[in-house]
Amino acid sequence: MKIQFVHLCPQRMSLYGEYANLVILRRMLEEMGHEVEVVAGESPDLSKANLIYMGCGTERGQKFALQVLRPQVEGLKAALDRGAVVLFTGNAMEVLGQSITDTQGKVWQGLGLAEFTTIETRQRNPHDVIANTPPGQSPVVGFMNKCSLTAGVTTPLFESLEMGFGNDCQRGPEGYVKGNLMATHLTGPVLVKNPALAHRVLRMVLTNAGAQVPDTLPVLPHQQEAFEVTLRELRSKGENAG
Amino acid sequence: MRRFFAIILCKLMRLVGKLLGRGSSLPGQFALKVCPDVLGRVKLPPYVIAVTGSNGKTSTVEMIAAILKAAGKNVVYNAEGSNQIEGVTTLILSQCDLSGQVRGDVLLLESDERYARHTFHWFHPTHFVITNLYRDQLTRNGHPQWVYEAILPAIHPSTTLVLNADDPLVACFAHQGNPVKWFGLEAWPGATKEHHGMYDDGAFCPACGGKMEYSLYHYNHIGHYRCTQCGHHRPHPDFAVTELDLEAGKLVLDGDTPIQLAFRSIYNVYNILAAWSACRMIGVDKHTAAGVINNYILKNGRMVRFTLGQHKGTLLTSKHENSVAYDTNLRYIRDTHTPCTVLVVVDAISRKYFTGETSWLWDIDFDLLSAPHVQRVVLSGRYVHDLALRFECSAVDPDKVVLSAGISQAVEFLERSGDEDLYVVTCFSDRDKVLDRVELEEN
Repeated sequence: MKIQFVHLCPQRMSLYGEYANLVILRRMLEEMGHEVEVVAGESPDLSKANLIYMGCGTERGQKFALQVLRPQVEGLKAALDRGAVVLFTGNAMEVLGQSITDTQGKVWQGLGLAEFTTIETRQRNPHDVIANTPPGQSPVVGFMNKCSLTAGVTTPLFESLEMGFGNDCQRGPEGYVKGNLMATHLTGPVLVKNPALAHRVLRMVLTNAGAQVPDTLPVLPHQQEAFEVTLRELRSKGENAG
Repeated sequence: MRRFFAIILCKLMRLVGKLLGRGSSLPGQFALKVCPDVLGRVKLPPYVIAVTGSNGKTSTVEMIAAILKAAGKNVVYNAEGSNQIEGVTTLILSQCDLSGQVRGDVLLLESDERYARHTFHWFHPTHFVITNLYRDQLTRNGHPQWVYEAILPAIHPSTTLVLNADDPLVACFAHQGNPVKWFGLEAWPGATKEHHGMYDDGAFCPACGGKMEYSLYHYNHIGHYRCTQCGHHRPHPDFAVTELDLEAGKLVLDGDTPIQLAFRSIYNVYNILAAWSACRMIGVDKHTAAGVINNYILKNGRMVRFTLGQHKGTLLTSKHENSVAYDTNLRYIRDTHTPCTVLVVVDAISRKYFTGETSWLWDIDFDLLSAPHVQRVVLSGRYVHDLALRFECSAVDPDKVVLSAGISQAVEFLERSGDEDLYVVTCFSDRDKVLDRVELEEN
C-alpha cells in the first residue's frame, strides 16, 4: 500500500536530527511491504497525507513556521478529521496551541488546534528525559531543549516524567495528545530511540491508510538495544540531574 | 586593598596549584570572591585579543601566540584553555604586578562563547575574533542562534570585530555598528555549487529569515551567500585566502604570501586566516607571520599518529555533539584515496557532563565513508547501537561495518587484522581509551 508522509518546514524545523523520525518510520513501513512517499515543504498539499510531521526549530524559526502554517490551518483540520496523524515534536508542539508569548512580551496567535498556551522564557532548560508510560508499556527516553512553559494541557502524552521538565513543571505531565493529534517537547529522533513510541504512531498511520495493523511491528536492527542502553545510562548516571 | 589581596591570593594559590598539578580555575574563583570587580581594576596591555566561536578557538589562539612571540611581542595567554571568567581571572592576576599592571604587550584570550559576556563585563577586548557558529554541544548551547544572542552582550561598542565573512550568522555581529575587519576564503577548486551535509543551516537568512542563495559552499553552510530578501551577504574580506590547493597543501594569503600546510584541512585554513588577520591588524609584518604559519604544526594533539599491529594510524579528534567537526574529518578521510579502515568510538558523550543524547549522530554525513577505499568501518563504545542504527540508515555498505562494543576488543581486533591505514574518529572524552592501547609516533 502507498503511504504518504508530509514533512513540514524540514529545513527550518529540524534542529536536532528530527528528519530521522521519518527515516525510521519509512524503513519500518517498507519492511512491512508498503511504499512510502515523503513530501517535504513549507506549504505542501496536505490532502493525501497519512502522517504530517514537524520537528524542532530555533525560537525564530518556530515563528516563521507558524506564519507559514497559518494559511494551512483548515488543511490541517481536514487532515485530522479524516484520521491522518499529526505529530509535532520539540517546540513545534507550541504552534498547535492558542498562543506563544515571546520573551519580548509579543503574543503570537497559535494555530488553535489545541487548548494550551505557551510562554517563552530567557532560561533554557536542556535535559535528558525519561517519560513514564502506563504499566506494561515501555518508558520513553530522549532529550528536551526548551525555553518555555506550556499551560492548559488537559490530555498530556505522558502523565509524568521520571526525569526532565514537563509542560510547566519539573517531572510534570508532558506533551499533548488528542485522538490522532500528538505532540511532545522531546527533541530529535525520538521515534528512533523509542521503538514502542514509533509503533504507537505507526499503528495510527496504518489505520488511517486502511492497511492491516499486524500484532507485531518491525523493529530495526539495534533500535531496541540503543533504547535499553540509554535508559540504563540515564537511570544510573543521570538520576541526580533529574 | 581588596585588589591587592585578590592578586596575592591568586598568585599564591596558582603557585600551590601548580605544585599539586591542579587546574587553573580555582585561584581565579577565590580572587573573584575577595574582589568581584578585580578585572575592572587591573591595567591591561595595549592590545587585548579575544577569540571565540564554535570551533578553532584553541588552535587559533595558539597560532596567534606563536606569531606574536616571533614578532618579539610579550604575550600573555590562556595556554591551558581555561576559557571562562575564573580561568581568565587566574591568568590575568598571575601575570599582574602588585600594582595591578598586567605584564606583556598583548593579552590573548580564548573565550567560551556562552560565557564571554561575564568575562567582558569588567573589561573588553580591543580585538574580538569570532571564528564560526555551528551546531555544537547543543545539549548545553541550545542552538547557534541562542549562542549568537549570548555573545552579543559581550561586545563593547569600541571593540574591533574580526569576523569570518563566510559564516552568515557570524556576519550578523557587524549589525552592532562596531568597527569590523573581515576574513574569508575566495573561490577554490574544492568549493562546491551545491550544499553538502545532512542539514543546511544556511538555507535561510539569519538576519531576516528569507531564502538564501549561495554562489559557492566551502563546507556545510560556510561559503559565499546572499539573502534574496534583505540582501545580507558575504562582505568583501579585508584578509583573504586568495588561492587554495588543499590536495597539494598550499594556499596564498592576500594574493602575495604563499603558505605550505602541515595539516591539509579546511579548518586549518580558517584558523590560519583568523590568526593572520588578527596579527596583521596589530602590526605584525607579513614575512614574520608567514614564517610561523608555514608548516605550522599544532601542538594541541588533535591529530595524533600511531602504529597498531600492521596499521599506520591517525587519530582525528572530532568533538562529539559537533557534526561539522565530524564531517570535516570524514571528508579528510574520503579525500585520502588510500585503502583504510575507520574506527568510530562513542562511549562518553562529554568529558565534562553526563548526557545520553545522541541525536547529533543523525546530523553527521556518514555517507562520506561509502567511498570505495574505506574498506571497513569499526564501531565501538557504549553507544555502539546508536552508531550501528545510524549506519544502518546510511549509504555505507553494511558488509563493511563491524561492531565491537568494548573499545579494547575493537583495538585488539584491529591489531590482529589488516595492514591498511587506520583512522580513529572520536572525541577528547574517548580518545585516550584508544591511544592508551597503541604505539604513539614520536613528535
